[in-house]
Amino acid sequence: MKSKSRSLLVQKIALHMVLTPLAIVWLFPLWMMVVFSTMPDHGIFSPEIVLWPSAEFAANFRNLQADTNFIRAMSISITVAIIYTTLSVMLTSMAGWALARYRFAGRAIVVAIILGTITLPFAVVVIPQFIMVAREFRLANTWIALIVPPLFNSLGVLFMRQAFSMMPGELFDAARVEGVREWRIFLHIALPLARPTMAALAIILFLSSWNNYLWPLLINSRPNMMTAPVALGTLIGLTRVSWGGIMVGAVLLTAPVLVVFVFLQRHFIAGISAGAVK
Amino acid sequence: MAKIKLENVVKSFGAYQVVHGANLEIEDGEFTVFVGPSGCGKSTLLRMIAGLEDISAGTISIGGKVVNDTEPSDRGIAMVFQSYALYPHMTVRRNLSFGLEMNGNPKADTARRVALAANILQINELMGRRPAQLSGGQRQRVAIGRAIVREPQVFLFDEPLSNLDAELRVQMRVEISKLHKQLGTTMIYVTHDQTEAMTLADKIVVLRAGHIEQVGAPLDLYDDPANQFVAGFVGSPKMNFLKAEVVEKTPDGAVVALSSDRNVRFAFQLSAQIGLGATVTLGIRPEHFAPPGGGDADLTVAVEVAEHLGNTSYVHASLAGETVVIEQPENRHGGARRHLTVGVPTSRVFLFDQTGNRLR
Amino acid sequence: MLSRNRAAYAFLAPYLLIFVTFWLWPIINSLLISFQNTRVNPWRFSLSANWGRLFGDPAFYNALYNTLIILVIQVPVMIALATVMAVLLDSPLLKARPLYRFAFFAPVVVGEVAYAAVFRLMFSADFGIINKLITSVGLSPVSWFDNANAAMALVIIAITWRWAGYNAIILLAGLQSIPDDVYEAATLDRVSKFQQFLHITLPLLKPIISFCVVLSVIGTMQLFTEPFLITNRGGPGGGTETLGLLLYRQGFTSLNFGYASAIAYTIAGLAVAISLLNLMLGGEKK
Repeated sequence: MKSKSRSLLVQKIALHMVLTPLAIVWLFPLWMMVVFSTMPDHGIFSPEIVLWPSAEFAANFRNLQADTNFIRAMSISITVAIIYTTLSVMLTSMAGWALARYRFAGRAIVVAIILGTITLPFAVVVIPQFIMVAREFRLANTWIALIVPPLFNSLGVLFMRQAFSMMPGELFDAARVEGVREWRIFLHIALPLARPTMAALAIILFLSSWNNYLWPLLINSRPNMMTAPVALGTLIGLTRVSWGGIMVGAVLLTAPVLVVFVFLQRHFIAGISAGAVK
Repeated sequence: MAKIKLENVVKSFGAYQVVHGANLEIEDGEFTVFVGPSGCGKSTLLRMIAGLEDISAGTISIGGKVVNDTEPSDRGIAMVFQSYALYPHMTVRRNLSFGLEMNGNPKADTARRVALAANILQINELMGRRPAQLSGGQRQRVAIGRAIVREPQVFLFDEPLSNLDAELRVQMRVEISKLHKQLGTTMIYVTHDQTEAMTLADKIVVLRAGHIEQVGAPLDLYDDPANQFVAGFVGSPKMNFLKAEVVEKTPDGAVVALSSDRNVRFAFQLSAQIGLGATVTLGIRPEHFAPPGGGDADLTVAVEVAEHLGNTSYVHASLAGETVVIEQPENRHGGARRHLTVGVPTSRVFLFDQTGNRLR
Repeated sequence: MLSRNRAAYAFLAPYLLIFVTFWLWPIINSLLISFQNTRVNPWRFSLSANWGRLFGDPAFYNALYNTLIILVIQVPVMIALATVMAVLLDSPLLKARPLYRFAFFAPVVVGEVAYAAVFRLMFSADFGIINKLITSVGLSPVSWFDNANAAMALVIIAITWRWAGYNAIILLAGLQSIPDDVYEAATLDRVSKFQQFLHITLPLLKPIISFCVVLSVIGTMQLFTEPFLITNRGGPGGGTETLGLLLYRQGFTSLNFGYASAIAYTIAGLAVAISLLNLMLGGEKK
């Protein structure tokens, strides 16, 4: 017994000796983001090693706001993410419901097309999407351009379809026998039961919209319609720019989602791992 | 009036047919049980009556009206499901009222019906709970209550007791029986359990592989099964089947000898023609053996196991490779016997041909 | 039952409309555009304008080379690291588990732009904290942005930091779906922990590792933000230009949509081909 508990202790120590340095390295960039955001620009570009926050966050924020209207960009990002998430959860859960629970002509084809194209990279559609939205519909620098095209995302459909097909079918038959209409079955029975799945999906969708960079960069390049990542991105690489300000922007972009992550970790992890473990 | 009539009802999934032209009439107020092994099409048939499955061919009418294209909710039916299918996120009260509510039933009337159902099923104290907080038996009551509030012309039950333990199953069986007496409504009940069928039914419909094998009152099926399948399905323990051979033709029938013991012979009066040397199957129920000498022939078997139930015992024995189950009065002083001799009254013996058709 | 099917179509229709308009049709359209000379007005069919040009374009080969280098080095390193993270995080001996989980999983929620900015600053040649730390232990500083190899290394480090935790989450879920009694049986059979990992964990995890590899391949094939923002638009001198970046430059700087579409289809084709290859190799043993 003694040797067993000793070997366990050795294992335990070894485990923490591997993980702790790794964890420190992994946390380092996030920590430095916070440190940089509080340092004056001359401090960032001084030869000393500074690993502890200073007190210039507010000043850096004013610099950021002077370089680009970051408050406006943030509010655009928040609005877009909320509307996009709401719409996308609605659309994908309706579609997932249809594909999970009805045997209609064409269902197999729709599922096959979604499955067959889901792994294609976004790169393959970005050009025609851009031409269509910017040139044919003339919707560049609009809310619609930011919100509607990314709704094609089909992961949510599969995610919701999975959730709905796991529910016992008798539940919905029971409602049908009671004369409950299909859309009410969906609304009053299926959706409430799918709430955890919807929460996981909503978090993933919100995050993807909040962090989306390439599409907003292409379609909304006019400064008054830039999202926060795009606005921040334009500053990176400029020569006369406040790096402390950029770091404040990075913190402001990161902090809300990090808070969401910490509090809703379970849903978040469920959302990410759903694709792999069936 | 809620008479139900099935005419040549067919169900197929693609090229695969699961119900082959069912014809059936169910009288108003009758308790009908569909029974058969799993995959026989009994649930499919019920779901077609409910309107949850399309009818591939034929017609179903309820109360004289063809309902093939009628929505489930407009058929005047209510259904109790195997899994109960209670809405997990709603209280018992809401589970009962939900359907009426969604259909715009007046509030006062809904409340009246819910209260009535709760009284009938004695679930008043459960009304505020959710399904997860209920025991299996309580869930079952709520599921039945949800059917009652619809005040249907026909109740449909799809294996409603199969998720309950043995004791509750017996208890709920009695309650469903009482409910039928109380409401007097037509009920159709699906089960694979022949005991449930025998105890509940006015009329049993035995199904196998998508065909209706026999329709009749429980005791008629027991006494007078149409074929070997029904004979084997109805009754517990199952009827014994023994291989036999026609060894002699008589003017009005034949003499048949057991393949396992050719000295055991029975003379039958038969209307059907049967050739000399034909292989047939004898059927005799475990409870129909007589004491030695008490029948027309004696049969000696090798005892393998005896199950003692207290008032009676079942002896599992073998006869040249065939298994025979014999019901015996409990004998506490006899000790374990290696051989058992019983009498077989010819009047209790059924005779089937090779394809399972009843000859006698 | 007809009315029920009508309901199904009604549920599906709104999404399907978006899906066809912004995904299915662009996929087809992209292929069509790649066969058009888009530098004349109106566009004209031409095989040589894009596809012909592609195979003789040194910029394409440079981007392809860079992308494949990142793929070959970064994906295996990251998946191995993610597997280690997942296995160690799954250990019942671990204390302060939430803290470690936070450390490895937090980068997953950090936006590309935010982390690109931090990495750019951390690795800055003269005043970057990384070079300060390197020199403080007596080594010579690395010019992360002027040396092509160092710049590639930086891109690889950055992506690995951002995505290792993501893969670890997926792998961890896979680990947790392996029943405990398998390990208990192995322990009773005197199979060592390491052998258990080798002969039980890895084989059972293989389909999930495959899935992670496929996701990473697709991501790497269209890699854009990191070389765009961190190494300053594929610098130095195209040293970190990826296919994704080339697509962006051709499509949205030069507005040569036809050529960009040909590049896009090449990206997609390679992603699909490499994924299938991986799935075939992975499925071999079953």
